[in-house]
Amino acid sequence: MNRRNFLLGSAALLTACGKSSQKIRLALNWKPEPEFGPFYAAPYRKYGLDVEILPGGAGTPTIQMVGAGSAEFGIVSADELVVARSRGNDVAALFAVFQNNPQGIMVHASRKLTSIGDIFRHPGTVAMQRGLSYARLLEKMYGFDKVKIVPSPNGDVSAFLHDKNFAQQCFITSEPLIANRQGADVQVFPISDIGFNPYTDVMATSGELLRSKPEMVKPMVAAVREGLRIYLDDPKPTNVHMQQLNPTMPLDLFTETSEVQKPLIETEETRRDGLGVMTKERWETLIKQLKDLGDVEKAPAAEECFRSL
Amino acid sequence: MGAIASSVPSGGVALDLKNVRRVFDDLVVIESLDLRVEAGEFLAILGPSGCGKSTLLRMIARLAEPDAGRITFHPDTERFQTAFVFQDAHLLPWRTVLDNAALPLELMGIEREQRYRRAHASLRQVSLSEAEGRYPAQLSGGMKMRVSLARALVTAPRLLLLDEPFAALDEITRFRLDNQLRELWRQRAMTVVFVTHSISEAAFLANRAIVLSRRGGRIKLDRRLELPSERTDDLRANPRLGREMKILLDAMEEE
Amino acid sequence: MHALKPLTGVRGSEQSRGRKGPLLAAIPALVPFVVITSALELAVRGGLVRAYLVPAPSSVFRAMVESRGELMRAMLTTSASALLGFFLSTVAGIGIAVFLSSSRAIQRAFYPYAVFFQTVPLIAIAPLLVIWFGYGTRTVVASAFVVSIFPVIANTLTGILSTDPALRDLFRLYGASTLVTLFKLRFPAALPQILTGLRVASGLAVIGAIVGEFIGGQGLGSVVDIARTQQRVDKVFAAVLLASVLGLALFGLINLISYVTLRRWHASEQA
Repeated sequence: MNRRNFLLGSAALLTACGKSSQKIRLALNWKPEPEFGPFYAAPYRKYGLDVEILPGGAGTPTIQMVGAGSAEFGIVSADELVVARSRGNDVAALFAVFQNNPQGIMVHASRKLTSIGDIFRHPGTVAMQRGLSYARLLEKMYGFDKVKIVPSPNGDVSAFLHDKNFAQQCFITSEPLIANRQGADVQVFPISDIGFNPYTDVMATSGELLRSKPEMVKPMVAAVREGLRIYLDDPKPTNVHMQQLNPTMPLDLFTETSEVQKPLIETEETRRDGLGVMTKERWETLIKQLKDLGDVEKAPAAEECFRSL
Repeated sequence: MGAIASSVPSGGVALDLKNVRRVFDDLVVIESLDLRVEAGEFLAILGPSGCGKSTLLRMIARLAEPDAGRITFHPDTERFQTAFVFQDAHLLPWRTVLDNAALPLELMGIEREQRYRRAHASLRQVSLSEAEGRYPAQLSGGMKMRVSLARALVTAPRLLLLDEPFAALDEITRFRLDNQLRELWRQRAMTVVFVTHSISEAAFLANRAIVLSRRGGRIKLDRRLELPSERTDDLRANPRLGREMKILLDAMEEE
Repeated sequence: MHALKPLTGVRGSEQSRGRKGPLLAAIPALVPFVVITSALELAVRGGLVRAYLVPAPSSVFRAMVESRGELMRAMLTTSASALLGFFLSTVAGIGIAVFLSSSRAIQRAFYPYAVFFQTVPLIAIAPLLVIWFGYGTRTVVASAFVVSIFPVIANTLTGILSTDPALRDLFRLYGASTLVTLFKLRFPAALPQILTGLRVASGLAVIGAIVGEFIGGQGLGSVVDIARTQQRVDKVFAAVLLASVLGLALFGLINLISYVTLRRWHASEQA
């Protein structure tokens, strides 16, 4: 290596170090769990990034935080991103961990229901966040007059265990496993069954940051992509780390969940085009669905909603 | 005017205190007191602050029990025939003057019509008829004390106990109320025990005065006052009053 | 029975001022409201504040008009629950305080558990409430009750225990039983303090009802929860504003009761 290259190399290294001195905040929309494995596994330092992960909980407004600048990156779902854009919040998706929507409704298997529509054809209680787009889609498709809709208990399954006719919104990677461990015989109907399949566990950032600091965004995406690979190949070390941050969830549940979620993450598309990939077609489908539902008045353009970096 | 006391035979009640002792924590407030009060007497109890005079009065009122000794009453009175006037009027602020005056009768279970009639008469005795509908917040200090007096008298008590009742009032009001109290005592048949630290008030009002020691409740002086039974404002300028006051003062100062 | 004689002198001037009072008295309270809403409107329109974080007052107003049916129904539901919860906490709170006042031993034994009501985080016991009371009004009322009862207990107890000892002596002198003393002396004497407790409890009852509705689903709490999920900040603010109005109304009711019962005799209601 001659002197010139050495100097250039040092300069590059120094600037990289300079970049890493700015703290980058990544806001999660739930507690540290296997869905966030890639983010905890990602080798940020290698890409010169100094990242602080902010765990979340029920109702953490990640999309507002990103828009307002209190976090550089945040985890959102595609449908809430579309709605946010239509309200003037300039945010864009960068990487979709879950290619397929993990949301679902769980019921007691003893009810012998055969489809998601069945849930609404028989009397019972359904706990759902009524404001969610898919909830309104379900209402439109099946009507809620036979069932009693109550607020979602946000991860707590005690009401579900207590009542055989209780159905509950869930992440198919989460609540059903917990309920199973407590002795319930659970059956889950994925929301994607009704054709509603937004990208989930999506890392998003603000348009502002994209314009002003592309040199931060690109490496971030690369780091996360590598983190996802690392996590898929060997989730154990990351699970141990996350379990320390979230002690209420036992380690074996972490292991079980990280296995169960794999088919949602690695699909034909990702094997072909890379992990976290997003397509214009799927965004367009989602935008149309939301427009039909009346959740957005002015539909944003699909190209504005995401970037492929 | 004596008709109000129709239920009470004349003569008031006599008190007999024998070896009365009262202790608070380690302090002997009253060591061993013997006292006999005749029926119908107007007794003043004098002494410096902390000498136990209020404690003594409360025991006579049966609000406190002596730690040793006995207090007997002749004839043995029922509770409501003793009345107590405190240093502050202590009226119930949410009740009218009339309702305040009627309170003892209400607590005794006397029915409405009768108790308002008696309260009304009692208030007339202290010249407060026009204030019947007012609330204590609207009264002056002197008026409130008069209501307190009327309240005390409404049960036609045989024994009236007063604990420095006029101490917080201005002098003119105090003189007026002194006169009123003396007059009421003359009209009714009751024994009055009046605690005060004012020598002039004790001399003006009472026909007998005792002076308590600074500590221990010892009776230093027990004197029948040589003064006319009719006490008017003229008496205040009379040298005879001054003489009695001097005697009481000397007793109080000697230790 | 005895008519109050016409009041003259000191109180006369205050009486006549009271006639045009209520309207003029409201003006100082409205000024900050007008100033802040105007400033906010300009800030949002000018882009100083992002509309998806803090909505322009005009959009909140629009949301109110648009969803007035839904909001009115929700407000009635929440009002009913809050009022019932508040009523229950008033009755139970006063009852518990009376019980606690009966002896020092009882106070030492049970008062710490009353403090539990003060400190328990509602979100933590939420699943339990749902299991015991089910989804719906009962959970909401229970929530309002739990959150608002402690100030009633604490203030009532203080009031009852603070009775003038001389007055207690007076009642003893005339042979009044403990019960009679409680109702004719200690209770009326404690009334100003009880009303203070009710003032605090009224606001808490509304908060408790709204939180209960997050859990149990209905009323303004439900509107807030759903609108928040839909990112309809304007509707969230509209519902929150109505909740504040409810809290104010309840507070005003207590003040009215305080005025009517205390005005003749307590310093707090007099000039």
